[in-house]
Amino acid sequence: MSALGELGSLRRKKVAGQQPNRSGWTGKVKKKDNLSAYLFLTPWLLGLFLITIGPMLASLYLSFTDYNLIQAPKWIGLENFTRMLSDERLHNSLRVTFTYVFVSVPLQLAIALLLAVVLDRGVRGMAFYRSVFYLPSLLGSSVAIAVLWRQVFGTEGLFNQLLGLVGVDGKGWISDPSTALGTLVVLNVWTFGSPMVIFLAGLRQIPTMYYEAASVDGAGVLRRFFSITLPLLTPIIFFNLVLQIIHAFQSFTQAFVVSGGSGGPSDSTMFFTLYLYDRGFGNFDMGYASAMAWFLLVIIGVFTAANFFASKYWVFYDD
Amino acid sequence: MRPLIPPTAGRRLRALAAVAIASTLLAASACGGDSGGGGGGDSANGEVTLRFTWWGGDTRHKMTQQAIDVFQKDHPNIKIKGEFGEWAGYWDKLATTVAANDAPDIIQMDEKYLREYADRGALQDLKKSDGLDTGKFEKDTLSAGEFDGGLYGLNAGINSFAIVANPAVFKAAGVALPDDTTWTWDDFTRIAAEITTKTGGKVSGTGAPGTNEAALNLWARQHGESLWTQDGKLGISAGQVTDFYTNLLKMRDAKAIPAAESVSQDMNAPLDQSALATGKLAMSFIWSNQLVAFSKAAGTELKLLRIPSTDGKAADNGSYYKGSMFWSISSRSKHQKEATEFVNFLANSTAAGNILLAERGVPPNTEIRAAVDPKLQPADAASSKFIQDIGKELGDPSPAPPVGGGQVEKITQRYTTEVLFGRLTPDKAAQQFIDEVNGELK
Repeated sequence: MSALGELGSLRRKKVAGQQPNRSGWTGKVKKKDNLSAYLFLTPWLLGLFLITIGPMLASLYLSFTDYNLIQAPKWIGLENFTRMLSDERLHNSLRVTFTYVFVSVPLQLAIALLLAVVLDRGVRGMAFYRSVFYLPSLLGSSVAIAVLWRQVFGTEGLFNQLLGLVGVDGKGWISDPSTALGTLVVLNVWTFGSPMVIFLAGLRQIPTMYYEAASVDGAGVLRRFFSITLPLLTPIIFFNLVLQIIHAFQSFTQAFVVSGGSGGPSDSTMFFTLYLYDRGFGNFDMGYASAMAWFLLVIIGVFTAANFFASKYWVFYDD
Repeated sequence: MRPLIPPTAGRRLRALAAVAIASTLLAASACGGDSGGGGGGDSANGEVTLRFTWWGGDTRHKMTQQAIDVFQKDHPNIKIKGEFGEWAGYWDKLATTVAANDAPDIIQMDEKYLREYADRGALQDLKKSDGLDTGKFEKDTLSAGEFDGGLYGLNAGINSFAIVANPAVFKAAGVALPDDTTWTWDDFTRIAAEITTKTGGKVSGTGAPGTNEAALNLWARQHGESLWTQDGKLGISAGQVTDFYTNLLKMRDAKAIPAAESVSQDMNAPLDQSALATGKLAMSFIWSNQLVAFSKAAGTELKLLRIPSTDGKAADNGSYYKGSMFWSISSRSKHQKEATEFVNFLANSTAAGNILLAERGVPPNTEIRAAVDPKLQPADAASSKFIQDIGKELGDPSPAPPVGGGQVEKITQRYTTEVLFGRLTPDKAAQQFIDEVNGELK
């Protein structure tokens, strides 16, 4: 063995000898750090376990039982899940929910993107416009706005008065089964503000030199939008898409308030969540409602996974 | 401006998205936990707090609060906390509080849900409650709250399903009020259509039957059937439901009732915003005790009329005395004695009777009824008189809905909408109605 080799092994030994000491020291700090971190997290952790994980596990158990809210739950195995297969109102609620999600989310994102692009071009008083457009996002899922919606689209509502001005006869938009869901779609599209703000932030990240270079090469507005803005914005579009889809699947308040809790007229606004609520609290069938909740979780999970999978083919990460 | 998303946004954004999505997913299936809170408690000086819940409109809230105040004056150790709201949200709320083991001590109960709660042990058997006197109650008025040998709801008032007419609208339209002792469904449709025509469509002749199950039940009773049978099954045949809806379409085509979308809009409207209260209807279907509240909301004196019959004989119109609502006590109340005392006060004291009058229906306690009668306000007096007038024409009492029968109101509303919008033919709607109601019964 050469001297060099010996030195090498010595150094290694030295290093090896130092290692436990050093790691022991940092370990202590880490543990201490961890402890205080957990202490600071306690309120949140308590919330997570007591209000989120706990009830989730409870509902998982209840989904295999017949539970009427008053008497103790009875284990019935998979019966709740097999019952879903033949429950026509449930199938209808899925149809309503899917229609709502797949019509309102693309529309909402398209409008959000369009406005973001317009605002990004340096409109005077942009901060003001941004706030104004964002406002509906803050209000949109509130009960107050849903109540307002009921008035606006009612038989004698504002919308019909506007139509009256241009000589069109209105109707009861919310009380007609063929248009009631449409009013809810409009309500959701109206809350385009929050994806818009995220789009705006994303647009700011696109280096202006790309646009300059493209302009020099003679690219027009549309060409620059489709060849630069859109590809570079795909991560943001993806982010918004996933979030808004989940959000739309879960909407409840708007349909509940607008239909007066009935999902009507004729179940035309009976979202899956609303039907779940109706089964659980209207029909005292909390076991079935729990099973439905887990089914919804699976649906949303599948769509989110599919979204992530598809993203490989259209989302462009600039890194 | 500081960038919201840093330049190396790609990977971090993915991580952010993952976290955001995970947390949203978690929230998806978690029901918000209610801290519950309170419940009736004893304070150190032996003071007991009872919670008392009821549904109703403004008139009822004020009257009930007055009655509570009188009771509290006589029972300084008992505090009563009122929890009240509209009919539509009442049952969701009650179900939630009962499930959370946080039920109010005293519950205003409806026939539709009485069995639902009682069969599951949520209500106290009032026969076992000491200090509740039912000796002065009119015969038969107790039976509606009685089953399986126990008394789970004490009749709080008698009412009957009826037509309500707005005489001011009739006058404005130049149509005479009909003779309700002889009118048939055809007369009813004709008169209603006449009002719609004569007012140029500003007012519709009548609200639609079928916005709840009561009219359907009376239709069944007029044809020798009944919505429910004594042994807790669905008693109406698909044929009668079909006829009921065919008649409804006839009314729609004659413009006796408003357009489908107005009917559907009115189904869930709060009382004071309903088409009847806002003067858009000349007639409608109500429970007789609601005359007080609707007259107040409409700002004019409304008039009760008998339900039309098929053969022009009022005695054949299927009407019956119904317990408009019931007093129940939660089986989990820790203050059974005090709760019983309060229910006894509501049912048997003249002081309470003088305040509550006939707003919840005609008092079933005959002594209270006699004491209250001279004090009734015009609308109360009219509904009380109506109840007495139809007394000779009544058929058998209508069997109470079985467990699961509480859903029938919403089911009826839904198929009425389907038929009015032409989305289902009467016979298809009838068959689906029967199947669905049967599916709800347990």
